[in-house]
Amino acid sequence: MPESLIDKAAKVIELAKKAGASGSFVHTHQSRGVQCKIRDGVLEKLQESTSRSVSIELYVDGRYASHSTTRVDGLDDFIAEAVALTRALEPDPDRALPDPALYGGARPTGLDLVDPAILALDQKQRVARCQAMNARLTGKQHVISGTSTMHDGHGQFAAVSSNGFQGTYESTYVGNYSSVTLQDQNDKRPEGGMGCGARQLATLMSPEAIGDEALARATARLGSKKGPTLTTTMVVDRMAAGAMISRLLGSANGHSVQQGRSMWADKRNKRVLSRKLTITDDPTLPRGLGSRPFNGEGITAKVMPMIEAGALKNYYLDTYYARKLKMRPTSGGPSNRIVTPGKRGFDELIKATKKGVYVTSWLGGNADSTTGDFSYGLRGHLIEGGEIGAPVSEMNVTGNLIELFSRLAEVGNDPWTYSSTVVPTLVFSGVQFSGT
Amino acid sequence: MNDPISRRRFLTHSAAAGGVLTIPGFLLGCKPTTSTAPPVVAAAPKPLPQNPFLDWFAVDEARLRKVMAELTARGADHADLYFQYSRSNHIVLQDGIISRAHTREEQGVGLRVVVGDQVGYAYTEDLSLAAMLAAAKTASAIANAGAATQPEHLAFKGSSQYYNLKVPLSRLGIDKKLPVIQRAAELTRAGDPAISKVSVSWSDTEERVMIVDLRGNIITDQRPMTRLWVSTTAKKGNETRANGSNLAGRRGLDWYDDTRLQQVAKEAVDRTMVLFDARRPPAGELPVVLAAGASGILLHEAIGHGMEADFNRKNVSIYADMIGKKIAPDFVTIVDDGTIESERGALNTDDEGTPCERTVLVDKGVLATYLHDQISAKHYNLGKSTGSGRRESFRHVPMPRMRCTFMENGPHTKDEIIASVKRGIIAETFTNGQVQIGAGDFTFYIKNGWMIEDGKVTYPIKDTNIIGNGPDALKKVSMAANDSKLDTGGWTCGKDGQGVPVSQGLPTVLVSSMTVGGKNA
Repeated sequence: MPESLIDKAAKVIELAKKAGASGSFVHTHQSRGVQCKIRDGVLEKLQESTSRSVSIELYVDGRYASHSTTRVDGLDDFIAEAVALTRALEPDPDRALPDPALYGGARPTGLDLVDPAILALDQKQRVARCQAMNARLTGKQHVISGTSTMHDGHGQFAAVSSNGFQGTYESTYVGNYSSVTLQDQNDKRPEGGMGCGARQLATLMSPEAIGDEALARATARLGSKKGPTLTTTMVVDRMAAGAMISRLLGSANGHSVQQGRSMWADKRNKRVLSRKLTITDDPTLPRGLGSRPFNGEGITAKVMPMIEAGALKNYYLDTYYARKLKMRPTSGGPSNRIVTPGKRGFDELIKATKKGVYVTSWLGGNADSTTGDFSYGLRGHLIEGGEIGAPVSEMNVTGNLIELFSRLAEVGNDPWTYSSTVVPTLVFSGVQFSGT
Repeated sequence: MNDPISRRRFLTHSAAAGGVLTIPGFLLGCKPTTSTAPPVVAAAPKPLPQNPFLDWFAVDEARLRKVMAELTARGADHADLYFQYSRSNHIVLQDGIISRAHTREEQGVGLRVVVGDQVGYAYTEDLSLAAMLAAAKTASAIANAGAATQPEHLAFKGSSQYYNLKVPLSRLGIDKKLPVIQRAAELTRAGDPAISKVSVSWSDTEERVMIVDLRGNIITDQRPMTRLWVSTTAKKGNETRANGSNLAGRRGLDWYDDTRLQQVAKEAVDRTMVLFDARRPPAGELPVVLAAGASGILLHEAIGHGMEADFNRKNVSIYADMIGKKIAPDFVTIVDDGTIESERGALNTDDEGTPCERTVLVDKGVLATYLHDQISAKHYNLGKSTGSGRRESFRHVPMPRMRCTFMENGPHTKDEIIASVKRGIIAETFTNGQVQIGAGDFTFYIKNGWMIEDGKVTYPIKDTNIIGNGPDALKKVSMAANDSKLDTGGWTCGKDGQGVPVSQGLPTVLVSSMTVGGKNA
C-alpha cells in the first residue's frame, strides 16, 4: 500500500496549518503507465511514464482555493504561497470541509481494482498482444493501414483532511484498441475501430476478437452514403449508447442546477422520461472502471439511484453546491452509471424494427445543458424490414434530450461492460434525422 | 541579454528551490521587465553560457550530454529532450464574489528517440540525473543498433518573438487581475435585466520550455496564455437560457481593457438573450453562410486536420493523393500560420525546436503543402518541417498540428453573399467540431445563427449541428467576402488525446450546400 503517500499528505496538512489555513484537504498520487502501438506489423511507439502529484484544497479566513503541483518535494514555499493567494480572494460563506459524519460507515471491500497480471506485464507481452490484434488487419481486403494499441497502468492514491479523513486505494487499468483504414471508391478512406478497457487483463476481449471487430466495423462503412431526412425509429448500438447517458445526466449536478444551467433544475422526482429508464450510480461495482472506496471529498462510497422508472431521483452534489442549494451532499460526480437492462437482445431488437436508423457511432454535435436541445452527427445503417441495411453517413439527429428519452421504447439486455457507463442497446421512437 | 526572461528574476525564482515563485514575486503586482528584445543568434560558445532555463531545470551541459547519450545508446535518427515547466492560475467569480482560485504547477521532461517512423518515448517529473537516465534507457528500447553520434557541442539557438507582454504573467499579482474580473461581471450584469446569473473565469498560464536535440541545439521559449470567460444565465418567466463568450490569446492583462471587456460582456448577453427567440432551422441540405471570424472552424475540420502530414504519410487521409490538385475555386487561399503576434496559436518555436512559419495549405484553390513535423518532413524528403510539430506537454510526443488557420479575403461582400441565398442559414457562433480523417466527414455545432429567406435575415436559430464532407464542402465554397478576421475567442484542438491551443479565422463565406441538423417538416 502507498503508505508514503499518506505520510506525504499528512505532512502537507501540517504545512497548511502552519501557514495559517483553518482547514485543508490533501490528495497525493503516483502512477506508472505504458503505451505500446503497432502499425502495419511494425512497432511504432513505445512509451513509459511515471507521474506524481500533490493537490490541496485550502480554507483560509472563510476563503477557498485549490492548488496542485508535480514538484512534490520541499513544498513549504508552495503551501505558504498558496495560503497567501487564498487570502487575496473574497470570503465565501458556503465553503466548508465535508461533514466528517460522511467519512464514516463501512467503505466497500472487494472492489478488486488491482490485477497482479497487469503489474507483471512486460514489453514482450504487450508487443505480442498488439501484434495479435494487428495480424487480423494487415493485408486484409481493402486495408490501407491498421493500428493496434495497448495501454496499461497502475495508480496509487491517498487523501487526508484536517478534519479527520484518511484513506488510500490503488487500481490498475488495461486497454486494447484496434483501428483500421480502408480504401473505398473515390478518395474516401473509411475507418473503423474497436476497443475495450478493464481493471483486469483476463476480462479483456481476446486480441483477435478486437482486431476482427475493428475490421468488421470499418468494412461496414464501405460505400456509405448520405441518408435521407426522415422521422423514424433509432436503435443506438450499446457502444454508442453510453454517450447518450452521459449527455442526459451531464447537467444533473449541483453546479449546473445552482447556476441555472441545467434542464433538470425543476424536474427532480418528476417522471419526465420513459418508465423503461432506470440508472444507478454504483461506486461499489467489483472491478468497475468507475469504482472507488470513497469519492474526491472523502465521502464513503454508496449506491445512489439516479433515474428510477423515468424520474430523476438525485443530483450529483458536492458539499459546496449542496450548501448553496440547501440540500444534502451526495457525490460531486459520477462513478459507474449502470442502466438497468431490458429483456431482448440486439438481434431481436433489430428484427422488431420495421424501419429505422441503427446508430453505430457519433460524430460531433452538442446539447444545450439548460434546455436539453441537441443536434448530433452520426454514422450507422438504415434498418429495413427488421434487417440492417446500407451504411449511412453525413446525417444528424436533432431534438431535445428529455423529450427523446421520454420516447425510449426499449432497453436491450446486452450492456457494454468495458466502460464506467454500462449501457445496453437503446431504442427510441419518432426521432428526427436530417440528411439529403 | 539573450533571453526573453530577465535573468536576475529567473534566478530569483529558481532560488526558491522546490517551491514556486516567491511570495513577493507572486503577490506584488507588476514590475515591467526591461528585456523584450529578440534574442541574438550567437556563435556557439563553449562551454555553455549561463542560462536561466538551465538554472530553472537545474541541469548543465554534462547532465544533458549524459542523458542524451543514454537516450541514443541504441541508435537514433533523431532524439530530443523536452523540458517543460508550467504554472496556471485560474480564478472564478460566481454569485457576486471572487469565490475560488486554482493554481496548477507542472514540471517534467519528455525524452524521445526517433528511428525512421518509430518513436520511443518516456517522461518523468523527477529531474534528478538518476530519474532522467532511467527514463532515457526506457525510451531507447525502441532502437536496435549502435550508439548514435553525439553532438560536438551544445549551443543555444535564437528564435523570433511573437508574444511580448509588458508584464510577464509570473509577475502579475492576483490583485491586478481581480478588478478586471469584477469589471467584466459588472458589465455583463448590467447588460439586460433578465440576466439572473453571471460567472467570470480568468486563467493565465506561463510555460517555460527548453528543447535539446541530438544535433546539439538548445531552443528555449517562454509562452504566455491568458483567457477570460463570461457565462450568463437569463430568465424570462419559466424559461431559462444560458450562453457565454470569451477572449483569449498570448496576451497580457493590459489587452483586457474596458473596450474588450464591454465587447465580451455584450457578446455574452446578446448570445444568451437571443436564445429566447431562436428556433431550429429546417432539416436537410441547405446553403450555409459562415460569418467572418470563428467560422474558421470550417477550415479546421474540413481540411486542416486532413492536411496534417502524419495522416498523409500513413496514407489514411482523404487528402493523401491530392497535393497539386485543384480542390476549391481560385479565390480560396487557406493558410496555417504560427507567426501572427499574440495569437493563441502563435509559437516562437514548435515543440521540436523548429521555428514556426506561415504555411499555405491551399494556394488559389490548389492543394499546396501538408503540415509537417520532423518525422514527416524526413519521410517526404523536405529538408525541414513546417514548424508544426506540437505536443500538449512533456507527457506527449509531438505530431503535426495546426496553429492559426484562416482563409484570406475573397472577392465578394458580406451583403452580396446574404442577398444571394434564397433559403439558408448563417452560422455565427460555435461550440465544437470534429472530423473523420479518412472518410472526410466533418461536423461543427452552431450555437447561434440566423435564418435567411429570400436574401434577407429573418429569425435567429440555435443548437444546430452541421455535417459535411471535406473535399466536397471546399468545392462548394461558392463565395468569399473581403472581411477575413481571426476569432478573438480561445479554441483548443484535440488529437490523439492531446489538446493544444489554436486560432482560426475566415471571411464571410458561402458553402452552397451542407446537411443542417434541424427540425423536420
